[in-house]
Amino acid sequence: MKYDFAVIGAGPAGYVAAKKAAGAGLKTLLVEKKKLGGVCLNEGCVPSKTLLQAAKTYHHAKHGSVFGVTVDGLSFDFPKAHAHKNGVMNKMRDGIAGLMKKYKVDVIEGEAVLQPNRKILINGEEHEADNILICTGSSPAVPPIPGIEQDHVVDSTGILNTESLPKRLIVVGGGVIGCEFACMYASVDVPVTVLEAMPEICPNLDTEISATLRAELEKKGVEFQLGSKVEEIGKTTVTYNDGEGSKQIEGDLVLVATGRRPNVSGLGFEEIGLEFSPHGIKADDRGATNLPGVWAAGDVTGRAWLAHAASRMAEVVVNNITGRTDRMRYDAMPAVVYTSPEVAVVGLTKEEAEERGIKTRSGRMPMAINARYIAENPDEGGLCKVVLEKDTNRLLGVHMVGGACSEMIFGATAMIEAELREEEIEEIVFPHPTTSEIVKDVFMAVR
Amino acid sequence: MATPIIMPRQGQSVESCILTEWKVNVGDDVAEGDVLAIIETDKASFDLESTAAGKVLALFWEADDDVPVLANVAVIGDESENVDEFRPEGQSSAPVAATPEPATPASPQATAAPVATPAAPVQASGSIQASAGVSPRARRLAHKHGIDAESLPGSGPEGRVIERDVEALISGRPRLSATARARSLSEDLESPGRGSGLAGMVRSQDLKVPGSVEGAEMSSVKGIRKVIAERMIQSLQTTAQLTLHASFELTKSQAYRKERLDAGQSKVSLNDVIAYAIVKSLGEHAELNAHFLGDRIATFEKVHLGVAVDTDRGLLVPVIKDASDLSIEQISSEVKKLAGGCREGTISPDNLSGGSFTLTNLGMLGVETFTPVLNAPEVAILGVGGIVLKPKRTESGEVEYVDTLPLSLTIDHQAVDGAPAARFLQSLVERLENNPGS
Repeated sequence: MKYDFAVIGAGPAGYVAAKKAAGAGLKTLLVEKKKLGGVCLNEGCVPSKTLLQAAKTYHHAKHGSVFGVTVDGLSFDFPKAHAHKNGVMNKMRDGIAGLMKKYKVDVIEGEAVLQPNRKILINGEEHEADNILICTGSSPAVPPIPGIEQDHVVDSTGILNTESLPKRLIVVGGGVIGCEFACMYASVDVPVTVLEAMPEICPNLDTEISATLRAELEKKGVEFQLGSKVEEIGKTTVTYNDGEGSKQIEGDLVLVATGRRPNVSGLGFEEIGLEFSPHGIKADDRGATNLPGVWAAGDVTGRAWLAHAASRMAEVVVNNITGRTDRMRYDAMPAVVYTSPEVAVVGLTKEEAEERGIKTRSGRMPMAINARYIAENPDEGGLCKVVLEKDTNRLLGVHMVGGACSEMIFGATAMIEAELREEEIEEIVFPHPTTSEIVKDVFMAVR
Repeated sequence: MATPIIMPRQGQSVESCILTEWKVNVGDDVAEGDVLAIIETDKASFDLESTAAGKVLALFWEADDDVPVLANVAVIGDESENVDEFRPEGQSSAPVAATPEPATPASPQATAAPVATPAAPVQASGSIQASAGVSPRARRLAHKHGIDAESLPGSGPEGRVIERDVEALISGRPRLSATARARSLSEDLESPGRGSGLAGMVRSQDLKVPGSVEGAEMSSVKGIRKVIAERMIQSLQTTAQLTLHASFELTKSQAYRKERLDAGQSKVSLNDVIAYAIVKSLGEHAELNAHFLGDRIATFEKVHLGVAVDTDRGLLVPVIKDASDLSIEQISSEVKKLAGGCREGTISPDNLSGGSFTLTNLGMLGVETFTPVLNAPEVAILGVGGIVLKPKRTESGEVEYVDTLPLSLTIDHQAVDGAPAARFLQSLVERLENNPGS
C-alpha cells in the first residue's frame, strides 16, 4: 500500500503524529508491534502513576491523624490496585484506537523493517510512504551486573507486573524511575533501599532539589546508599561497594533502573544507511534524519527521554512535513518526578546557566511559607527556586519539590516560552490560596 | 584657559579626516602630547595629540564622523569653563558622550542616557534630507516597536513616512517576546521575519545587529578600506585592462647584488633592482609613464614610481617622486623609508599620491603570477611574482635550469596598445637579464 505518511511505533510520538498528520489530510499508516500507547501508556508513565496513587491513598489513610482521620483495619490490596491500573490502561488504549479510527489512520499490528527508498516491510508485506517517522522508543538498559538474569530481578516493566509485595525491595539506580518505585513501595510499608552510584540521587536536577527529595523519601522510610556501585545480585542479597568496601543487603525483589536505551536494532535502520548519534538516531531540530523523507522523534533519538518531549517532537515533524516551519526547543522542556512530594522543574538551574556564561539572579523559598501547602502537607518539606537572567530579568528556570507541583509547572513553562521577564511576571495574578503562589513569592524574593 | 583642539591638516590635498576612535572621555585629565583620538585620512591613520594640558571639557564629534580639517574637535581646560564658543557650527549643544563601550562610561551623564540619544547630528540631518522625513507620530510608534522609521517607504506627501506606514509594517511583523522587545530597544537590535519561539514568536536569541550576517563577524567598510574599494571598482569599471606576462632570468640580477656586497656597497633588494630597471626602461617607453584622462593623455617627463605596500590597515601605495633622477641606492633607501612610514602610519598623505607608474610584488608571499589591477588613472602597473625554476637552452644546445622571475604588466588598452607594452616588457627583461643596476 502507498501512504503519504507512515509512523513506526504508536507511543506518545507515534499516535500524536499519526492523528495530526491524518487530521491535515495525509493518508497515514501507524505500525505498532506491541500495544497502542507505547511504553508510556503500557509500561511506564500511566501504569506507574496509577499504582503511585494507590500507594499514596493508603499512605494518607494511615497518616491522617493530624487531620483527625484514623482508620481501623487498614489494608492494602495490591492486586486490586493492579486491576485499576489495567482498567486505566485499557481505557486509554481504547481511546487511542478510537482516535485512529476517527481520523482514518490505518493501524497495523506487527514489526516494521525499513527498506531503502522509504519502503517498509510489515508482516511480510511491503508498504511505501512519502515520509516515514521512526519513533520506536526505548527499553530499559541492562547493566552488566552478575546475577541480573534472575527471576526476582526486574526492570521498570517487570515491576509493574509484579502483583505481590516483597518483604524488602532493593532499587539499583536512584534516578527518576528508581525514586518513583522506591516511594511507591515505601508508602505501602515495604522497606526499600536505593543504591545510587552518584553522590546524589537524580543527578540531573538542581542539587538542593535532589537533596530535599531524598530527605522527604527518607522520612517515608526509604534508605539510600549513595556513591554505591552494585557488584553482584545474589539469590537473597545484593552486594555493593560504597567506596569503603563490599557490603551486602538482603532483598527479595530487585528493581534495576539504570536508564534506558533507544530501540534501534533489527529494524533495518543501519542497512538503509541511517546515521546515529552517541544517544540514538541522529535527527536535527526539525526531526529530519540524514535520509530524505525519513524522520525520527522521541526516545529513539536519545534526546530528553520524556513522553511529552516525544509528542512535541512528533508535532514538529508533522508541521515540517505539512509545510509549516517548526523547530524543536528544549529550553522550556518541563520534567517531573512523580514521587510524594513531586519534583517539577523547567529551564536552567543557576549552575547550568552560569556554565553557559549567563549571569543570573535567583531566589528560593521553602514551601512551608505557603498557607495551602502547610494546610494540606503538614509533615512534608518542599522548596521552590527561581533563576533569572541578570541582564534582561528574563525567567530562565523554575525548580520545585513539594506536593503536586507537576500540575503547576506548565505555568512556568509558558513564562519561559514567552520569554517573560520579572516585570511581566510580577503583574500576573495567582489564585489564592494555592500552592502555585509560591512561584510568585519566590519572584518577590529574587536578588 | 580653555583651549580648542583642532583637526590638523594632513597634507595639502586633505580636506577632512575620519575620527576613527576617541582615546579619552569627557572629564579625563590629559597632558600635552597625550593621544586624544585616532584619525584617518583616505590613505593613512594618525594619532591626534593634545596641544594643551587640563581636563577634557568637550568632545564635539563621535567616532566615525568625517571631520573637516581645522575644525574644533575637543576642548581642554579647567572644569568650570564654558566651551560653547568653540563648538563647531551645526553641532548640538549636548556634548558627545564618549566611547560606545559600556565598560568605561565617560561620565555620569553618559551612563544616564546613552540609548535614547539620537544619532550624531551629522548623520541625522543627512538622512532626513535624503527623504521627505518622518512624521512625529510615525517616529514615536516606530520607536516603541524597535523599527527604524527612516528605512520605511513613505506613503505621505512626497514620500513622507507617516503613522500608517509604521502600522502596516507592525501588523505584518512577528510578535516579539517581552525580553526580545526590551533587548531590541535597549541594544538597537533588529528582529528577523520569523522567530524560533512559539508559533514563530521572536525570542531574544533571534535578534541580530542590523545588517549582520549569521555566522560572520561584521565590520564596516571605512577609512582606507573604503578608499581601496572605491578605487579598485572604479579602475576595473573605467579602464580596459590587459595583462601581458613575461619572465626574466635572475642570474645576473642576483650576481649584481652579490657583487655590490662584495665591493662593500650598500645592500639592495631584488625589488630595488626591478624598480630601478623600470625607471630606466620607462625613459625609453614614455607612453607607459602616463595618465589616461578620458579625452587627454598626460605623459610624464619624469617617473614617479608608486610601490604597493601591505599594511595592517590595507594596501597603501607610497610614491617615489622624481625617481628618474635617483640612483639605485637612493631608490632603495626611499622605498625603505616610505614603506616604513606606511606600516607605522606616519606617512604623509602627500607621499601617497602623484604616481605615474606602479610596481607591485607578491613574489615573497609565494605567488607565482597574478594580474595586477591598474592604479587608475595610471596606464600601466607591473606585478612581480615568485622565483620559478625553468629549463633554458644554452648556446651549446644543452638544457640547464635557471631561476626566473615572472613579470605581469597590466596596461590600460585605452591609452596603450599591446605591442608597445610588449616592447617595454622586452626592454625591461633585457635590462634585468644583461645590465641590472645600470
